[in-house]
Amino acid sequence: AHFSTDPNLRPSGRLELRTQKSAISQFRGLKFLGARFDEGDSIIFLRKEIFCGFLSAGKASVMASSLRLYLTCIRNTLEAAMCLQNFPCQEVERHNKPEVELKTSSELLLNPVLICRNEAERCLIETSINSLRLSLKVKQADELENILTKKFLRFLSIRAEAFQVLRRKPIQGYDISFLVTNYNCEEMQKQKLIDFIVQFMEDIDKEISDLKMSVNTRGRLVATEFLKQFL
Amino acid sequence: MNLWWCGAMKGKSSNMPCCFERESPALKQILLKLYHAEKPVEIDHHLYEFGSVEYYVQSSAADPHHSFLSVLTPLLSQGEIPSNGPLSPYTIQMVKDICSESAEVVEPAREGYQLTLKLNFSMIPKSKESEKVVRRIASVQAVIISSQLKEIFRGVDSHGTFQPIKLVYYPREPFYLIRQPQKITAVFPMRFKEHSDVVIATAFFQELMDVGSSAKWAKTPTCTWAPIPPPELRGESIEDLSTNGGFVSFDICSRHVEGKKLEKTVWTLLNFYAFVKNHIKCTRGLIQRRMQKRLESLVEVLHKGAMEEDNKVKRRRGGRYIRKLVSLSKFKTLKRRCSDIVNKIKRLRYRIKIHGFNRFRRRWLTLPKFSSSRGYSRLE
Repeated sequence: AHFSTDPNLRPSGRLELRTQKSAISQFRGLKFLGARFDEGDSIIFLRKEIFCGFLSAGKASVMASSLRLYLTCIRNTLEAAMCLQNFPCQEVERHNKPEVELKTSSELLLNPVLICRNEAERCLIETSINSLRLSLKVKQADELENILTKKFLRFLSIRAEAFQVLRRKPIQGYDISFLVTNYNCEEMQKQKLIDFIVQFMEDIDKEISDLKMSVNTRGRLVATEFLKQFL
Repeated sequence: MNLWWCGAMKGKSSNMPCCFERESPALKQILLKLYHAEKPVEIDHHLYEFGSVEYYVQSSAADPHHSFLSVLTPLLSQGEIPSNGPLSPYTIQMVKDICSESAEVVEPAREGYQLTLKLNFSMIPKSKESEKVVRRIASVQAVIISSQLKEIFRGVDSHGTFQPIKLVYYPREPFYLIRQPQKITAVFPMRFKEHSDVVIATAFFQELMDVGSSAKWAKTPTCTWAPIPPPELRGESIEDLSTNGGFVSFDICSRHVEGKKLEKTVWTLLNFYAFVKNHIKCTRGLIQRRMQKRLESLVEVLHKGAMEEDNKVKRRRGGRYIRKLVSLSKFKTLKRRCSDIVNKIKRLRYRIKIHGFNRFRRRWLTLPKFSSSRGYSRLE
């Protein structure tokens, strides 16, 4: 939806927002919020607070929809890329190594796919005949999110054996990496594995936000307790 | 002579009080023990606490009414290292005020200590107030330390500005008092070893500013945080002003130091560094616990998926697998029954010998071998 940047304030105190006619149909449900639709391409808000709430809800819905698109794109790419089979090492006999890590034979590697949600968030999927590597760069808005993300992902990476498909060290330029081999695909169901990885990505974002909120909430409570000493 | 260690070793630069209460818990326990003792008790204790504080408690059975308490504590100094010099008359007066009739200052103090008190427990009233009196005596170190700051804050209403006063309580952690018209500003340069501590502390200082600026907390000292030192501190040494956590300032006015609030304000300011470090440590613990919990939930999801898959595979294999199991088990049970019977017979054989039974057993009680590895049958 496209929002006009200069809403007109009517003398009666109502706020009028002009928007595209094609977008009007999406917002018909706003009537219960105290908004009504003018003839043409305007939405009239009766109260400023409802207008502000509408804007923030719109922003959140835009973000949620972009996350959905990003995750769907990653899921589809993984479904296409996770066709792995056993392939013994061509360099050393009786050895079986994930070719995506070694990268010695170019004929065994597929083109890497980079999926970017924005400048801060991206996902790199590298595939080979017997293994697949997925690297994620997580969004970090400020310093606090930066240190929380680093701490949390490092915590998980150190305990990588619990996840089986997690790499102990992320690829340079990324925050966390997965390595899926043909053996993992034999032991686990491909769909479940993809579901796990996509769910993991959602959970990481949610957990970082929760951690940040906890730290700020705790700081606020401690600050309150500190200032009480002066009363 | 008993030596009781309480806290970190003496002389370490990272010492800091681990609790924010004024009274020393170990000293309080010993004094209460002396107070409640029915018979005269011989006590000769040396106590060492965080912040290079030393107590010496002495009580003799020959003089049951009197005990001696000696204190050695670093004082707020204006130099680089906290000093252990003599106490000012104001400080001694403050100590006399808290102890009232139950304690008397001994002049001169015991060798190696700054203050010696002669305690008379019989002067403490036998009521609920007795514990309060003992707690006041046990907080003598806090009184000594805070009396210096109280002396400075007494002149908060004076006009004019003075040079910033640098005070050192913890080594390498000085703070400044800047006297201005109608207020004194306490400035704390903040330094942390790790970058994550800096970030957590900065978030805390911003919350402190936000909360302090709200209408509900208008009566508290104004708190500000800045990454650069205030202009009044320009001219101080570079080592003291180079920080990675910025500068936290509190504006102390006369209403914050009148009456009983003076003691609270002074004690809160003295323990500000310790408070911040305690908050950072607890926040790191909170983050660690949440990460551990999240890890368990993520791993559970993965293992749950794997277990569901195992169950589905077992169900899918279905009839043929189960039939195979059933046929195998019938043969096994039959074989087991036969071996049980044979064993029983063998046991019976060892107890009772029956002539001709051996032949009978070999002929009728052995199982026929359908596939013989030898390829022939044994002749009897």
